[in-house]
Amino acid sequence: MKTKLGITGLLIATIVWTPLTSTLARGDDFDAVVKAIEQFYHVKHQSLPLLARAGMKGARTVARVRGGDYKRIADAGSVRLVFFEDQEFNSHGRIAGFKASIQNALNEAWSPLIATLSAKDEEQTYIYIRDAGAKFHVLVVTIERREATVVEATLAPAVLATLMKDPGEMGKTLTDDAAMNDPK
Amino acid sequence: MKTLFQTSLKFAAVMLLLIGGAAITAHAQGARLQIDQLDSLANKASETVDVKLDERLMATTAKIFSGKDDEDIKEILKGLKGIYVKSFEFDKEGQYSPSDVESVMSQLRGGGWNKIVGVKSRNGDNVEVYLMMQGDQIQGLAVISAEPKEFTVVNIVGPVNLEKLTQLEGQFGVPELGLEQPKPKKIK
Repeated sequence: MKTKLGITGLLIATIVWTPLTSTLARGDDFDAVVKAIEQFYHVKHQSLPLLARAGMKGARTVARVRGGDYKRIADAGSVRLVFFEDQEFNSHGRIAGFKASIQNALNEAWSPLIATLSAKDEEQTYIYIRDAGAKFHVLVVTIERREATVVEATLAPAVLATLMKDPGEMGKTLTDDAAMNDPK
Repeated sequence: MKTLFQTSLKFAAVMLLLIGGAAITAHAQGARLQIDQLDSLANKASETVDVKLDERLMATTAKIFSGKDDEDIKEILKGLKGIYVKSFEFDKEGQYSPSDVESVMSQLRGGGWNKIVGVKSRNGDNVEVYLMMQGDQIQGLAVISAEPKEFTVVNIVGPVNLEKLTQLEGQFGVPELGLEQPKPKKIK
C-alpha cells in the first residue's frame, strides 16, 4: 500500500514539477529573447564596446544607463541593453510568427502587456512585465527595419504606474532613455 | 478481480475530479474571449495593437497603483480580472475575412452574453457592445468594431459597465471608441 502511495505521490510530483523545471532550465530570458531575434532574422547583436569602436553609442551610453539621468526611470545598475545596428530586419510577411517566437522564448513569469506591430514598416514593440517582489522587471523589445533594441530594467511601482497609463509610449520612453547618447 | 474493480473505481473518481476542475476553470474564465486566433492578421495589417493585461498582472495593479494620485485608477480597475485588446488597421479593404469576425462573434452567441442595443460611437464606427451577466452581476464586456479597414476587439473580464469602459478609453491601451449610451426616451 505504502509503495502504491509512494508511486502515486511521485507521479503527481513529476506532473506538477516537470513544467516548472523545464521553464527554469531555460535560463536567462533576456538572452533567450536576444537569441530568438538572432534566429528569426538571421542577425547578430552587437556588444557596447563594438559600438563604441564603431563611433556609435559608447561609454557615455553605458554611464547613462548605469546611472546618470536614467536613474529617473530605472533603478541604477538594473538595466540590461543589447543593440542590433545596420542589419536587415525582414520578416518576409511572417511578422506574427516573430511575435510567437518572442513569447516562446520567455518563461511564464513574464506577463505580456502590449505588442504593437507594423508589418509594412517592419516596426515592432513588445513589452513584458514580471513581478520582482517590491519592484517590477520590464522587458522591452523594439524592432525597426535596420535596427533593434532589447532592454530589461527594474522599475519602482510608481514609475511603472506612470508608464502603464500609456503603454503605447512606454516602450519608446524606456528604450530611448536606455539608448540615447549623453547630450553633454 | 476485486483489485481491478477498485483500481477502475479510483481511476474513474480521479477522472471525474479532473473533468470537474476543468469545468470550474472554464466557468470562471467565461467572460474571457479567445482572440489569439486573430494574431495572423498582423501579417496583413498596417498597424496592430495587442494589449494583454492578464489576471496575474491585474492582481498586481494594487501594488503598481499605490500612490496617492492613483485612487481614481484603482477604483476603475477594482475587481477587473483582465483587459484584452486586439486592433488591426489595414491599408485596403478586404484584408480580414468574415470568418475572422465570426471566430469572435460565435463566442458571443449565448453563454450569458447579451448585446446592448442602442450603443453608438461618436466616431461613426460600426460598434457592437456585449455584456456577460450572471444573475444581476456583470461578468465581462466585449466590444467589436468591424470597419472596412479596421477590426478591433476589446474584452474586459470582471465587473465592468459602459461608464467604466468610457473611463478606460485611452488608457491601458484601450482605444478611443467614443461610445455613447442610449439616452432614455422622454415620456410624453
